[in-house]
Amino acid sequence: MLRTDEILSTIRMLHAEHLDVRAVTLAVNVEDCAAPGVDHLCRKLKEKIVSRASRLVEVCDRVGTKYGIPVVNKRLAISPISSLLAGHGRGAALQVASVLDAAAQTCGVDFVGGFTALVHKGISSGDRVVIESLPEVLAKTQKVCASVNVASRKAGINMDAVHAMGHVLKDIAQATAAQKGFGCAKLVIFSNIPEDNPFMAGAYMGAGEPEATVNIGVSGPGVVCSALKRRLEQVGRATLGDLAEEIKITSFRVTRVGELIGREVAAELGVSFGIVDLSLAPTPMVGDSVGEILRTLGIDHIGAPGSTAALAMLNDAVKKGGLFASSSVGGLSGAFIPVSEDSALAGAVRHGHLVLEKLEAMTSVCSVGLDMVAVPGDTPAETLAAIIADEMAIGVINDKTTACRIIPVPGAKPGDWVDFGGLFGSAPIIEVRNAGASDAFIHFGGRIPAPLQSLGN
Amino acid sequence: MMTRFENAYVLDVMSDDHPGIVAVVSTAVEELGANIDACSQTVLGGYFTLIMIVSLPQPVEPDALAEQVRRAGGSWDLQVMARRAAAPTAPPPTACDRFVITASGRDQPGIVRRFSQYLAGKDINIMDLFGDRSGDEFVLIGQLEVPSHWEIRMLQADLEQMGSELGFAVRLQHENVFLATNQLRWLMPTNAKTETR
Repeated sequence: MLRTDEILSTIRMLHAEHLDVRAVTLAVNVEDCAAPGVDHLCRKLKEKIVSRASRLVEVCDRVGTKYGIPVVNKRLAISPISSLLAGHGRGAALQVASVLDAAAQTCGVDFVGGFTALVHKGISSGDRVVIESLPEVLAKTQKVCASVNVASRKAGINMDAVHAMGHVLKDIAQATAAQKGFGCAKLVIFSNIPEDNPFMAGAYMGAGEPEATVNIGVSGPGVVCSALKRRLEQVGRATLGDLAEEIKITSFRVTRVGELIGREVAAELGVSFGIVDLSLAPTPMVGDSVGEILRTLGIDHIGAPGSTAALAMLNDAVKKGGLFASSSVGGLSGAFIPVSEDSALAGAVRHGHLVLEKLEAMTSVCSVGLDMVAVPGDTPAETLAAIIADEMAIGVINDKTTACRIIPVPGAKPGDWVDFGGLFGSAPIIEVRNAGASDAFIHFGGRIPAPLQSLGN
Repeated sequence: MMTRFENAYVLDVMSDDHPGIVAVVSTAVEELGANIDACSQTVLGGYFTLIMIVSLPQPVEPDALAEQVRRAGGSWDLQVMARRAAAPTAPPPTACDRFVITASGRDQPGIVRRFSQYLAGKDINIMDLFGDRSGDEFVLIGQLEVPSHWEIRMLQADLEQMGSELGFAVRLQHENVFLATNQLRWLMPTNAKTETR
């Protein structure tokens, strides 16, 4: 029999501290939708997605209700669209993207990820179609999310792709200028892209995955923050070790909830259960912030010295708790620091406490990278590429996933405030110093060779 | 339940709470040659209550068993009841799932009655019940066996409506979410776990 205090502590976590399942992502392999004619391809794609995913939202809602835990976002991820677009052109890419958009709408999901190209070692014809079509696709669709992997531990950094993405970002921003460059918020540029990531915009289904699988993204910055505050109230003098322990225990509990929901949703849909992603993913809501956790850990101004160490401790403790809770941990599994989606981080940028360089340093100890960072619209493409290259280097050398989701907001200057709406939040434009000072480096092109760490065999 | 000896009795003891009651009761039944087959004890608001299943090789009058325990308590004024533990007449087996109901709100008479009457009307068995008044607030927690044929969303809607009439926040959640967050054990998928009672 359960004890009363156990029941009450779970109730507090679920209802007072707003623990939820952030994302249930159904990943579907669409490689068998390939066809020489684009109309035929689109018909197969739509039928496959709708037949696999039409029950996803209903099942998530039913399972969530049974346990009293809301499943906030239901999403789809597909195998890389580049494999279907080989031999086709940009017109076909737009047609395929429109079908994905419509299928997502039919299934009632908020996003579909997998408009993806994997170009860490070179760019195939299908990859090129994906990359070149991104401005139009992201401007003309609502629910399609894209990702491009430009670097990996085994391959190094494809600097030609990095350079291209600098220009693509500018083009996407221009194509969606009326929405303040919002199209860039639906594109993630990766190193070491995870093949089972449930979080958008970078979710896709990697090679080696089954025909269909359910991946879960739990969250809970608010739960972790509340647990820390409670611990500090109970014990006047807690060490960082004590606080790390509290994070670990909370992360364990959060992860178990995710796995419970994920396994049941997968069983009801008749597909395999994939992974639980342990990431702490903030939202713009007050009390759902990774920045707030850093403040609770004693960093008054996020970005101040100590911020990286505090984040490293948080990230590590989250992993340790989660790893013990589930044998199916995957995806990104770390603390996210998306600037516009975290009100405390956005506030720190506004007050000048958090600058781009410190943000980059912090990404070396957490997931995912420079995420939802709004920069001036006149930042040169080569400078954007150089920012991407720096972030990719952190991932390649440290054998971890890093990513960039940068939005060069057309017409915006440092300090301007930009609002992307909903879960994407709002943030000030962050200053990019030394803009234009890396052009020659980017123009060399080629590939930064794989590091020593690649020779692990 | 399977008892050690064939003659089984239910023993119920209530008293003011203080150390030593279980020791006195268990000594008294042991002196009768009885085995304690199961027991459950709790303290509520300073009052002690204990329920035991005991069994003996030879039959004994229930009143004599109760009197033996009462006498052993001396000046503690134990209230003791005993009755034969006949095999309960089991209702036809019903497939059930375990759920937890939690309700909290401003205290007023009739809370336990309203919820328990609703549950009884749905043939939902209460396995464990906890209620506590703190300040003006009353918290009620029940661990339930819910017949599997009920649509949970309908039960939740009824209970939430009742809660809103009483000014109470009411939740009905499958027990696995509480097990998952508190206990280190493998959880059987609920579609494979349907108990019968």
